[in-house]
Amino acid sequence: MIDWNAMTDAEFRKKIRQFFEAEYPEELRHLPHRPKFAEIEQWHTKLHTKGWVAPAWPTECGGMGLNAAKLLIFYEEQQRWGVNRGRDMGVQMVGPLIIKFGTQKQKDYWLPRILSCEDIWCQGYSEPGAGSDLANLRTRADVDGDHFVINGQKIWTTMAHDATHIFMLVRTDPDAPKKQQGISFLLAPMDQPGVEVRTITTLSGETEFCEVFFDNARTPQENLVGELNKGWTMAKALLSFERIFIGSPSLAQNALGQLESFARGRGAFDDPVFRDRFAQAALDVEDHAALYARFADQLKRGETLGADVSMLKIWVTECFQRITELMIEAAGPDGGTIGPLQVGNVNVDALASFYKARPTTIYGGSNEIQRNILSKAVLGLPG
Amino acid sequence: MLSSDQEDLRLLRESARTLFERAGGSGRSRRLRDADGGWDADMIRELAEAGVFGVTVPEENGGLGMGLAAGGVIAEEVGRVIAPEPVVVTVGLSLGLLRRLCPDHAKMEQLTSGEISLAVAWQERGPGGAPADATCRYADGKLTGGKAWVIGAAGSHGFLVVAKGDNGPVLVLAEATADGLAIDKRAQADGSSMGELSFSGTPAEQMAEGPTVQDALAEAISDATALAAAELVGLSDRAFEITLDYIKTREQFDKPIGSFQVIQHRAVDLHVMREVAQAGVREVLTQMDCETDPKIRARLASRAKARAVTAAKKITRDAIQLHGAVGYTDEFDIGLYLNRALVLSAWLGDDAYHRRIWFDAREEEGAA
Ligand SMILES: Cc1cc2nc3c(=O)[nH]c(=O)nc-3n(C[C@H](O)[C@H](O)[C@H](O)COP(=O)(O)OP(=O)(O)OC[C@H]3O[C@@H](n4cnc5c(N)ncnc54)[C@H](O)[C@@H]3O)c2cc1C
Repeated sequence: MIDWNAMTDAEFRKKIRQFFEAEYPEELRHLPHRPKFAEIEQWHTKLHTKGWVAPAWPTECGGMGLNAAKLLIFYEEQQRWGVNRGRDMGVQMVGPLIIKFGTQKQKDYWLPRILSCEDIWCQGYSEPGAGSDLANLRTRADVDGDHFVINGQKIWTTMAHDATHIFMLVRTDPDAPKKQQGISFLLAPMDQPGVEVRTITTLSGETEFCEVFFDNARTPQENLVGELNKGWTMAKALLSFERIFIGSPSLAQNALGQLESFARGRGAFDDPVFRDRFAQAALDVEDHAALYARFADQLKRGETLGADVSMLKIWVTECFQRITELMIEAAGPDGGTIGPLQVGNVNVDALASFYKARPTTIYGGSNEIQRNILSKAVLGLPG
Repeated sequence: MLSSDQEDLRLLRESARTLFERAGGSGRSRRLRDADGGWDADMIRELAEAGVFGVTVPEENGGLGMGLAAGGVIAEEVGRVIAPEPVVVTVGLSLGLLRRLCPDHAKMEQLTSGEISLAVAWQERGPGGAPADATCRYADGKLTGGKAWVIGAAGSHGFLVVAKGDNGPVLVLAEATADGLAIDKRAQADGSSMGELSFSGTPAEQMAEGPTVQDALAEAISDATALAAAELVGLSDRAFEITLDYIKTREQFDKPIGSFQVIQHRAVDLHVMREVAQAGVREVLTQMDCETDPKIRARLASRAKARAVTAAKKITRDAIQLHGAVGYTDEFDIGLYLNRALVLSAWLGDDAYHRRIWFDAREEEGAA
């Protein structure tokens, strides 16, 4: 077993980079859509053979056991090369929860299946009436013998139409005094009569997310993770690493690179107004990277990150949006054209980038919610 | 050049902050402004004793031998209390020139010890009022012509003037009291004044000549630009703190105004602005300490100034709005910060100017 954490950062980065550059299929780089599992299965098998599917998990669970610093490097390299994250909700979200709160039996059963992608997971948190106010969720799970019976609806469930299982927050105590208190974390198979999935077409014309309806769907009681009615705090506990990851500069950096070659090809830099806006965006990305480095250093020193880290997400997602808006502008009369636009010998899909940037300020805690958090937890503002 | 480690910088920040706070913080700066915009001789002496002016001067020339990152730490503290003393002018420009061109000259020691301060005059104004090509001449030991936008002209003991000599560019020193020197002081928003100098056969001592003068000037301007950015970072930091305190205490509709979401979100945006500026500018200063190519150093300095001006403008102007009418009074300190930000932003190029310079430099590097 390799002790990755014992390597220097530079050595480690080189190893990861070499592997991605040598092994990742060219045609899958910087995919503009979320792939179905079949599309990336071969790549997944390669990663799995190497033992690299779950960089953050402890080695005894089949992961790489990376510390925070190495983990950041792994993701930086992944994004730099445009390596698709694959169907990673299992690895990123359920796995860590099971590792932290699950029974040994749950770990032995579920973890290997997540790594091999025998089970493919989707995240069932949001509901029509529970978006930013997630604790308002109403989908119920009631005990019936050794099963839970599930009724209700989830929505915006990414790739539910290509998933075998769903992990969900459900209401198990409707009478709890606070709405956060009656919520549990439950695993359920999708392939059963009581579960119906309807795809939702996004603005970009893709079918990325779905509605999932539960009509007396069943899941064994042993699929409850952690204690009954303690799901809310468990789900919250896992957010901390996610928060720096979602604020990493890569998306904006990649988009800026695309914008630059596109604008150059199209002669947009002849326009001083465009030049200034490009310079603004480019400096926004550079200075964000400096701030990101400050938080990354904190992680490397073994410190935990405070709520302050949310500012990375606010800045970088809004910057990402401005960059893709500039792409549309640089496209001129092609600004509404679907598909790759040829400039010199590169293709840039301006619309796809533009669409990709839109929801980044909505998911992962909308930017307004992040501002609420910063204003209270960091600035100490009242009310 | 040396790059100082984090612990050194922390200690330096602490001592600079204590020094300014003990002297009265921004209240002292207000008193000086009201007393006609001068400097405080005791403060200059104390700063000199703490090694502030010689922070980037090599130890063998009597300085602390630290890098620009350390200079930036001090500049941030100057900005926090909007101190009027010519710290960035001295560290970046006058000592920036002398330590590169004539490190053994007696004026070096006088500058680091705070005995004198020298302003630097290199730009000239064209007939339309905008910057124009330099024509000021130096021949037979005398200066003829004019210089514009000279910061610190009012309190300086003399002027380091970049002029045209018989054999190319020269750096000369004219005493403030020299014959044939007229100083037109233009009042600035922050109570300081900027000098427009005219020389008619003004005697001056030659300090250096040849192409090295232009090179040293370019380098000194890069340093001063980046340090001015750091000063703006400190200024923004404090202006935001003042505003945050205000919105926590001012009540309307029976609540602190900081409990209204629209105010909260604006405050968060200013906070993020400030943090990005601080991270960006500090990174630039550290990188400049490790970089020797003057073009890259100039590009980095432009990045810093562009960011710092963007943040300072936004923060000080929104700060006025968040204060309401008291923000529009002279009595409240927040206005002092707005005014100082105006002056520091205009000096050595504002954000739009530096984005242009930065972009062009990047293009040139890309093409090379
Ligand atoms: C591409 C995409 C993929 C997603 N994938 C998943 C998934 O796999 N699983 C899943 O469970 N969910 C998923 N989501 C849902 C996502 O978590 C929610 O969209 C998000 O929580 C916001 O909820 P909402 O869409 O209902 O918006 P709302 O909460 O209705 O918000 C609408 C607007 O009001 C603002 N707002 C709301 N409350 C406040 C407040 N207190 N103060 C100020 N402004 C406020 C919001 O910021 C937003 O601008 C996905 C969403 C997107 C866009």
